[in-house]
Amino acid sequence: MSNASRREFLRRVGALGLLRAVAPLGLQLAGIGAASAANAPEDYRALVCLFMMGANDAHNTIVPYDQASYDTYATARTSIALPRETLLPIHPINNIGGRELALHPALMPLHNLFERRQAAILANVGPLLVPIKDAATFKNTSIARPPKLFSHNDQQAIWQAFSPEGAKLGWGGRLADLLSARNGKHMFTAISTSGNAVFLASDKTIQYQISNSGAIGFNRSTANQLFGSAKGAEALRAQIAMAGDDLLQKEYAGVVNRSIDAHGLVSAALARLPETDPRLALPADLAQQLRIVARMIGVRDDENIQQRRQVFFVSLGGFDTHDHQLGKQAELLSSVASSIAYFQQSMENLGIARNVTLFTASDFGRALLSNGDGSDHGWGGHHFIVGSAVQGGNIYGQFPDVALNTTTDIGNGRLLPTTAVDQYAATLARWMGVSNADLPLVLPNIGNFSQRDLGFMAAI
Amino acid sequence: MRATLAALILSLAGLAACSTLSPGTPPDKWSYPLEARRLPRPSSTAATPHPTAADASRVLQQTTFGPRPDEIDALARSDFNSWLSAQFETRQTLFLNDIEPEHLKLEKGKNLNQELFFRTFWKHAATAPDQLRQRMAFALSEIFVISFEGMLDVKIRGVASYWDMLGRNAFGDFRTLLDEVSRHPMMGIYLSHLKNQKEDPAKGRVPDENFAREVMQLFSIGLYELNIDGTLKLRDGKPIETYDNEDITGLAKVFTGFSYGGPGLTDPHFHNQGLEPRWDILPMKGYPKFHSANQKSFLGTIIKPQAISDPEGDLKNAIDRLFNHPNVGPFFGKQLIQRLVTSNPSPAYVKRVALAFNDNGVGVRGDMQAVIRAVLLDPEARQSNSDNSGKLREPVLRLSQWMRAFNARSASGDFLIGNTDNPGFSLGQSPLRSPTVFNFYRPGYVPPGTAMARANQVAPEMQIVSESSVAGYANFIQTTIEAGVGRAEGGKRDVQADYSTQLPLADSPEISVDALDLLLTGKRLSVASRTRIVDAVTAISLPANKPANAEAAKRNRVRLAALLIMVSPDYLVQK
Repeated sequence: MSNASRREFLRRVGALGLLRAVAPLGLQLAGIGAASAANAPEDYRALVCLFMMGANDAHNTIVPYDQASYDTYATARTSIALPRETLLPIHPINNIGGRELALHPALMPLHNLFERRQAAILANVGPLLVPIKDAATFKNTSIARPPKLFSHNDQQAIWQAFSPEGAKLGWGGRLADLLSARNGKHMFTAISTSGNAVFLASDKTIQYQISNSGAIGFNRSTANQLFGSAKGAEALRAQIAMAGDDLLQKEYAGVVNRSIDAHGLVSAALARLPETDPRLALPADLAQQLRIVARMIGVRDDENIQQRRQVFFVSLGGFDTHDHQLGKQAELLSSVASSIAYFQQSMENLGIARNVTLFTASDFGRALLSNGDGSDHGWGGHHFIVGSAVQGGNIYGQFPDVALNTTTDIGNGRLLPTTAVDQYAATLARWMGVSNADLPLVLPNIGNFSQRDLGFMAAI
Repeated sequence: MRATLAALILSLAGLAACSTLSPGTPPDKWSYPLEARRLPRPSSTAATPHPTAADASRVLQQTTFGPRPDEIDALARSDFNSWLSAQFETRQTLFLNDIEPEHLKLEKGKNLNQELFFRTFWKHAATAPDQLRQRMAFALSEIFVISFEGMLDVKIRGVASYWDMLGRNAFGDFRTLLDEVSRHPMMGIYLSHLKNQKEDPAKGRVPDENFAREVMQLFSIGLYELNIDGTLKLRDGKPIETYDNEDITGLAKVFTGFSYGGPGLTDPHFHNQGLEPRWDILPMKGYPKFHSANQKSFLGTIIKPQAISDPEGDLKNAIDRLFNHPNVGPFFGKQLIQRLVTSNPSPAYVKRVALAFNDNGVGVRGDMQAVIRAVLLDPEARQSNSDNSGKLREPVLRLSQWMRAFNARSASGDFLIGNTDNPGFSLGQSPLRSPTVFNFYRPGYVPPGTAMARANQVAPEMQIVSESSVAGYANFIQTTIEAGVGRAEGGKRDVQADYSTQLPLADSPEISVDALDLLLTGKRLSVASRTRIVDAVTAISLPANKPANAEAAKRNRVRLAALLIMVSPDYLVQK
C-alpha cells in the first residue's frame, strides 16, 4: 500500500470506529473531532510554537520597573540583575497592581510589537495538574504536581505533551488530528523546522520535518545513469524504500517514503513562491526557520499543499544559563525578538497576520537567586503571544511579586505557576477552532481549571 | 614568567612523548594518570568458538568503526574472546598527540579550530589500531556528553583530553571514569561546576545545581529506581524517584570550590585560567576556601558541617555514593548495550550485564572490561537473526564504516573533514557536537504514531531521522562513494577509497555483491535486495578489449553496489 493510500485507509477506518480496540483516543478524535472541524471557521489558521530550549530566564525577560519593585528585584538577583536604565519600559493597557514593567534591553523588536498591540504577555505560566494556591500548599501538602519538575528533558516534554520524556501525544499533534479534516494534504498539517518535536507527536498525524531551505530530494534517484548503470537509478529508488518485516527498517523506509512524497509537492509549490519574494526577505539563524514556516504559509493554497489548519514548531537552544547569563541571554533574546518581528512583518506582508499566531514556550523559568553569574532551574515563566489576532499590549495571568519568600516562591525564587500550560493551550486551541466540548481531547486536564479562555485571543 | 612557562611546556611535551615512564605514572601529581586503574580480574577467559565470517563482520560492526576485509578474515580464524583480550591490551591512540603540538604552536590570543578535532577523529576512526577503545570512547561520549556546541567551541585541546580520558577509562573501572568525568575542566565548563562557589546568604548566592542534577540523571543512576534487569521498581504501581530537589541542592554543595588544576592554590588560581597553562587538560581540584563547609545531604548520605571545608573528601564521598547505587549497573549497562548492539535488549540481557557490572567474578564492582565482555559476548548480542533486534546505525558510523571497508586514504594525511552537522547535505551529526547534554538522541526515544510505539519499542537513533535527513544522507554517501570526502585539493577530495580488495571480484557481480554484503552488513541483505543489486551492477558492461575502460567499469560496479547497500534499510539497521 502506498503511503498516501495507507493514510487514507487509516483515516477511513478511524472514522468508522474500527480502531476502537487498539486506539481508543484515536477513535475519540476521529469521531468527536469531526465536530470541531465542522464548526471551525472557514478561514486559514496557523499556530507557531517557538520553543526556547534550555529554559529561558523569565525573571530577566520581563522585569519590574517602578523604582520600588525594581529595587526588590535587584536586591534578590544581585550579580545578575539587569541595570534599570537599560530596560525597555512597556505600557500595558491593564493595571498590574500599580506596578510598572519593562523588557530585557535585547527585546526592542518585541517591545515595538507589544506597544503596537501585536504582542501580549502571559505571566507566570507553567505545567500544573491542578491549581496550587500558594507556595505553602505546595510545600506542606501532597497536592498533585507535575512529575520531574526542574528536569530539562522532562519539562520540555510536559510543556509540549503533558507527560515526561517518552510522551507520545503532543497537544500540537492532537490539535492537528482534530483540525486536519479540511486540509488537502494531511502530511503538511504539522511541520517542524527543528527536529522531532514531541509537541507535534500524535497517533494520526506524523510531523513533517522540513529543512530551512525547503524539501530535500534524493538527487540521483531519477538519473539516466548511475555509475554507468542504466538500471542504477531504478535500483536506488527501490533500495531506499525497501523494508522487510523488521519494525525499525519499516520505520526508516516510512520516513523515506514521506520524504519522497513531500519533496515532490513542496518543491513544486515553493517554486511558485520564488526565493526572492520581497515579502520574505532573507533573515538569519532562528528567523531562517521562521522563514520556511512563512514560505509554507505562503503556499498554503497551492494545489500541492491545500491547508486550512496548520501547527508549526521552531526552536532555539542555549537558554540554560547557569553561567555567563548576562551575555548569553542577551544574545539569545535578541535573536528571538528580531526573528519574531521578522515573522510578524512577513505575515503582514502576505496579508495573513490575523490568521497566524506565534507563541513562545520554554522548559521552565529559572530561580531568582544568582549562583554567581547565572541562575538555576525553576518552574513558572513569562511568555509572549504574537500576531494580529492577539489582543496585544496587555499582560494576562498574574504577574508575580519578584522577590524571595512570596506566596509564589517555592524556594530561591522559583515561581509556582499561577496559570497552567493547559489554559495557555486552551486559549490557543479555541482560536484554532477546537470546540469547548472537544478541549479535553487536546488537553486532558483542562477540566481541573475553571478559566479556559485567558482572553488574549480575539473572538473567533 | 614566559621562560618558566616555556620550560614547563617543554618538559610536559617531553614527558608525554617519553616511553620510559612506568605504566600508570603521570608526568606529575596534578595530571590525569596515563593509564586506567588496574583491577583484580579473573585470571583466564576461555576462548570462544571460531565465528563464521558473517559473525566476525557483525562483531566488528558492533565493536569498531567498521570492519575491514582483512580483519574479518583474521577474526574468523581466531575467536571473539581472544580478540577482545587483544584489544584490551592494545596501546591507546591519543588525540592529544595530534592536537598538543598544534596547541603549542598557537600565538597568544589565537585558538584552534574544531576542524582539527574532527580531522583527528576521522583519522583515528579510519586507521587507529585500538578500534574497540576508540569505539568505546565514542559510545561514552554519547553518555557522558560534552559538546563543542556552546562554551567549548574553541577548547580543542581540552576536548581532546576529555576524549582520551574516556578512552583511557573505557577498559578501566567505572568509579574512576565517573570521578575523572566529574573533574574534567571541559565538563566543568559544560555543566558549569568549574568555579562554582559555595552558598553565600549575605549575597543571596546559592550553589550552581547543574552538574549535581545531571550527574545523577544522566551519568550514574537515572530518574527512577531500577530492578537489576533495568525494569522500573514500582511502589503502589508507580515508579519510585531516585532523588528529589533536596538531594540536588545537597549534592550541589559538594560540587562547589572546584576549579583549575595544577599546583597553584591562591584565589587568583581559582578565578583565572591564565595562571595555569595546562588548565584545560588537568583535572579540576578543590579549593577549600570556595567549598561549602555546611551540612550536605543527598541520597541518604549526610556529610556533617566541617570546621575546614574538605572538597576532595566530599567529592570522594559523593562519587562513592553514586557509584555504589544499585541503579548504576542496569542504568549504564543498558545504555552501553544500546550504543553497541541493540536498542531493545531483553530484561534478561540487561540483568546479565548489570550482574557483570556488580561483580567481575573476583568481587570487583564497575570493571569496564567485564561489562564490555558481558555486553558483547551475550547470546542476545551474538544471535544473528532475532527479529526486531539491532539498532539504527548512527550517521557518523556509516561514514567511518565506508572508510574502513574500502581502505580510505587521506592525500594530505590529515583527513580534511570538517563539521558534518547539516542533515540536509551532510551526516546530521558530528562527533562531540550534540545539541545538549541529552545527547543527539535519548535512550528512550519512541517514534510517535508508529508501529514501534504500539509495540513499546524504542529507537533512539530515529530521533535524528527526518524527511530531510534521509535524503541528505543518501546524497552525501552517494557523492562520497563517487568522489571521496573532505576538502578538495586540486579538484580532488582529500579522502579517497581505493576499493582494491573488491575490484578483483567485480568480474562476477554475484561474488562481488556477496563480498560487499559480508563486509557492510554481515550478510543481512534480503534476497530481493541482493537480486536487484546484482542486476543493476550487471548492467554495467566490462569492455573486453579496452583494459583501462574495463578497470573503470569494475570500479563503477563496486561503487554502485556499495551505494545500493549503504542506502538500504537492510544496511541502515545494524543487526
